[in-house]
Amino acid sequence: MTGGVGARLAEWPRPTRRGGALIAVGAIVFVNALVLDRRDFILFGLIGVAVPLVALAYTAWRVPRLDVGRSFVPGIVSAGGTVTASAVVRNRGRRTLDGARWRDTAPRLESPMESVLPPLGRWEGGPPGGSDTVRLEYTLRLPRRGVFTAGPLRVSLTDPFGLARIERGYGRTHDLVATPRTTALGASAGGPASLDGVLLELQRQSHPNADELIAREYRHGDPMRRVNWPATARAGEIMVRQEEQRSDPDARLIVDTALHGRGRTSFASGDDRYHHPFELGIELAASIGVHLLRGGFRLTVSETGPSQLEPGPRRRAGGLFGDTPVEYQGGVGERAFLEGLAHLDTPGGRGGSATDRSGAPHDDVRRASGRERRPAFAVLVDIAPEEAVALAAMRPAFEPAVAFVQEGVRRTLVTDLEEAGWRCIPVRTANDIPEAWHSLAHDQGAADAR
Amino acid sequence: MRAETPPLTLPQSAALVSTAFLLVAVALTSLGPLLAGSAWWWLCAVVAAVVFASGLGLRLLRVPASLVPVLELVVLVLVLTLFFGAGTAIAGVLPTGATFAHFGELAAAGQTSIVQQSTPAIAVPGILFVLALATGLVAVVVDIVVVSLRVVALAAVPALLPVAVPGFIVEGGTDFWTVLLTGAAYLLLLRVDVAVRRRGELDREPEGETAPRITQPRRASAGSTVGATLGLAGVGLLTAAVLAQATPSISNPYLFGTGDRGPLFSRGVNPFIDLGEDLRRPEPLPAFHYSGTGRERPYFTLLTLDRFEGDVWSASEEPLVEEQTVDVFPAPPGLDLGVARSLVRTTVVVDEVATTWLPVPYPARSIQGLRGSWFWEADSFAVASADDDTLGQRYVVTHLDLDPTPEQLRTASRALPDELEPYLELPGGVPEIITTTTEEVTASAGSPYDAAVLIQRHLRGSDFSYSTEAPVEEGYEGGGFDVIAEFLEVGEGYCVHFASAMAVMAREAGIPARISLGYTAGSRGVGTLAGEARYDVDTHDLHAWPELYFEGIGWMPFEPTPGRGSVPEYSRVSVLADPGATRAPLPTPGAPATEGAPVLPEEPVDGSTAAPVTDSGAPLARLALVALAVALALALPAVIRRLVRAWRRRRAWDGADAAAAAWAEVEATAVDIGDPPTPFESARGFADRLLARDGVADDADARAALERLLAGVERHRYGPRPAPAPDHPLTHDLDLVVHALERGLQPAERFRALVVPTSLASPRESLAQRRPSTAGA
Repeated sequence: MTGGVGARLAEWPRPTRRGGALIAVGAIVFVNALVLDRRDFILFGLIGVAVPLVALAYTAWRVPRLDVGRSFVPGIVSAGGTVTASAVVRNRGRRTLDGARWRDTAPRLESPMESVLPPLGRWEGGPPGGSDTVRLEYTLRLPRRGVFTAGPLRVSLTDPFGLARIERGYGRTHDLVATPRTTALGASAGGPASLDGVLLELQRQSHPNADELIAREYRHGDPMRRVNWPATARAGEIMVRQEEQRSDPDARLIVDTALHGRGRTSFASGDDRYHHPFELGIELAASIGVHLLRGGFRLTVSETGPSQLEPGPRRRAGGLFGDTPVEYQGGVGERAFLEGLAHLDTPGGRGGSATDRSGAPHDDVRRASGRERRPAFAVLVDIAPEEAVALAAMRPAFEPAVAFVQEGVRRTLVTDLEEAGWRCIPVRTANDIPEAWHSLAHDQGAADAR
Repeated sequence: MRAETPPLTLPQSAALVSTAFLLVAVALTSLGPLLAGSAWWWLCAVVAAVVFASGLGLRLLRVPASLVPVLELVVLVLVLTLFFGAGTAIAGVLPTGATFAHFGELAAAGQTSIVQQSTPAIAVPGILFVLALATGLVAVVVDIVVVSLRVVALAAVPALLPVAVPGFIVEGGTDFWTVLLTGAAYLLLLRVDVAVRRRGELDREPEGETAPRITQPRRASAGSTVGATLGLAGVGLLTAAVLAQATPSISNPYLFGTGDRGPLFSRGVNPFIDLGEDLRRPEPLPAFHYSGTGRERPYFTLLTLDRFEGDVWSASEEPLVEEQTVDVFPAPPGLDLGVARSLVRTTVVVDEVATTWLPVPYPARSIQGLRGSWFWEADSFAVASADDDTLGQRYVVTHLDLDPTPEQLRTASRALPDELEPYLELPGGVPEIITTTTEEVTASAGSPYDAAVLIQRHLRGSDFSYSTEAPVEEGYEGGGFDVIAEFLEVGEGYCVHFASAMAVMAREAGIPARISLGYTAGSRGVGTLAGEARYDVDTHDLHAWPELYFEGIGWMPFEPTPGRGSVPEYSRVSVLADPGATRAPLPTPGAPATEGAPVLPEEPVDGSTAAPVTDSGAPLARLALVALAVALALALPAVIRRLVRAWRRRRAWDGADAAAAAWAEVEATAVDIGDPPTPFESARGFADRLLARDGVADDADARAALERLLAGVERHRYGPRPAPAPDHPLTHDLDLVVHALERGLQPAERFRALVVPTSLASPRESLAQRRPSTAGA
């Protein structure tokens, strides 16, 4: 469809519906007149044929020459948000341009209907802003997560009689990124233990005792707050903590990006680019990730499929089988994390890249297991048994280990995971997300109370 | 894909509708070759204009779109009633049952007329009605297609119907230039539609959040496409025209079987053959009966055959002439004062003859009481109808009964007027027997009259006998050379043969001759008609006879057929003591004029000049036409002035000399309102005067605008070259000033300024362009 021939044909002038009808009727009249020897109708038929053809030649001759500058603000929006697209169109031709219309090409998006381009004066040179320039602006709504394209701006010129038109693209294609929607998890503190409490608890568990930190001698310039009083008492001289207390504890997020389980089970509404459970998983992962990042965690993210967040030729094993997780931190990290999620392809949607399972499983988990245990959240959409096994094997490295499980995951695998010590919380729709998170907090609070 | 069409504003509808009207009006002109005169076009144009205007008005009143066509049809009926109601309507426009009955008659008459008339046909009321009705319907359809449906390209279908018509009737179809012009009007309609669409979309307020917002250039371009439009249309039409001329005709009747044209408007009958068949009819049918005041009973001429092409006699195909109505006939050609004559009234009631030719004695002076439109033909005085036939007609013919003396005939001048040349023409290849017979018979003749009498006597002699069967058996039916030669040898035939033989021989002898077809005087019937003795004429009385022309007397009938009709008195007497006269079977010569019918007053020229033009529609229609024409003529200067203003505005918009153009318009407006700049006045001085005028003085905006325009023109005139282009369009200022100037006028003055824009007579353009170097002192 977008082949070279088709694209080149689209550049040719073509008759409008009116012009085509006129040519057809003219030809019929001409042939009949020829047979019946009606000289007057021969002329009529020829007018019907000739004028549209001349109009075609006219449009080919008067192809608009335009400069188009594009901008999209903002370049990245959350899914469902809007982008203001603007274009500055400037006539480069030596004649005024009238009779033109414009539309934007934005596949999978609702771009405005073709509309009239105001008449443009002839090229004036000099700074823009003269009568040869017009500024077009419209709003594009990005309905869901993903990377969309917009442009080139297509401008069509119709001859004065509306018989022929030529359409050309101006400017280049621009990418528009719609990051996944996120649900704020901390804001709605309903239960006795807020989510912040959970995080503090997690943090506390990760860093059990400040006293255990290694102390060193005081040096000039150390702030007083770093004085390690117990150590000072023991050593008899002023000791300070050698390391600043870690303010960014680690958290692991495991995202099911491969859906290796039963395959593409429930693709919705024939659109193979949109897979509801997968999108729900992405939204859930984004919500948790953003929440953790804002809570000060350093986030490491593993994908079950080949790494798309940080693609590389050797990163095709999947996060559970050897690929190193991708790390995010702070505000910059949040932005990069969301953008990375926006770029995730729906698995199986197009071709699908097979996961290379040759790598040793959970290498990094084993590496990490020696150190302190950290929280892990797995967002599971539809996993394969070996992935469940890998997750079970990784369980000792994590505390707490929470799996948000969608309906696509087989019951037996859920049971396996639960037996391995994963807390499995079912999630069905996006509305379940805050509740699922709350239940986590409740249980945590309950556990604390016990 | 295309955005839905925005609703039309009034100026947009008006532009579309007026262009559509133009298309219909131009397309109507293609009927020109078919119809005489131009009143029909005006009538149709008025009807179309009313329909279009009503559509415009109805939409302005926000009548639902589905009701508009219905109401337009109602308006059409009202207009037709106004023009054709003929007093049957209430208040002239509200139709009654009688009106519709009248319409039905008109339509039927129109149809008949279309079939009967040859081109160019006279636009009789029937034809006018059919035309007006059809035009109104076309206008309604065009209006729906163009304004309601906005499928403007489809307007070609109804609008081109009139253009299609001529091709079925006349050879060659519609005139080449008319077709081109119609094509141009059609393209104009397309152009206006495109412009209206664009305008509508440009003016539309953006709706909804996602609608695009367009930031116009600070100084918008006028973006003219006039050149492109004209160029494109010109090249397109030229291409089509050249190709059409270059297209060879491939039509072949054997290939496609389309050689024949329909018999519309055609009188393609062979009168001779038909006449023979009528004469051989075993049972005669009553044709008509009549009574007259004349001393002799006349022959009734239907049709005169004046062209002889060697094998057939035919009538010159002349279209009916609108002015030649039967209420007055001109003086018969060639008739001098000295010939004795009487005026005779003959009342005719037609029984079972249905032709478009009226049986009329020659030479008629006037005919009264006819139904339908009848017209006489020049020279022959044959009377034909445009829209009716003879069936059941009752009419009174006033005609002359001529009684020239043989002396008058004998002494008639041999010098003939040029227009009689055709009556002497004989094609080449005259058979030997005709020339020799003529020479033998007329050898002793001392004058054309004597020759004519001798020829008549020869044909009535014992060598010839009357038979309607012999020619059929022998196979020489008709009136051509071969037939006459055969007839002269065999000596048997009927009136056709005698008449054509005598006519050919007379031409051979140098006497202008033609053949009349018609009826003999018939036989005495039972009872009376109009107080006189009644005579019956039936199909056996169909007859053909020669008429010969004598200078000073005119066309005189002769009777060479033995046993039929009556031999005219003047041809019985002869220098040779003609014995044939005694054989005349019918009434002996009576006394001169039986009644004291007044001798025709002498007229130097024919009386047709006094004949009124046929009434084409009601007087109201003519009044409306005149009013329309006057209004158009009055509006013309105003229209031109507006065009000039629009042209200057365009230049003031983004032209290189915008300031000069704007100032020129200010000056021209000042001229129009009677306050022109004086030749030696500076722009500032002139502006000061304008600033003090009513309408400007009290309008701060206009004053400021005038100051800006003044600054612009001063910069243009006295500033450095090239003058910098103004940074905003001057048109707004210009409009402000012009409106303020016009607002300050009294209504009467404003009307005068509108209708008589004196600035057209004295273009101020040069004044505005002047620079100090060229301005002189």
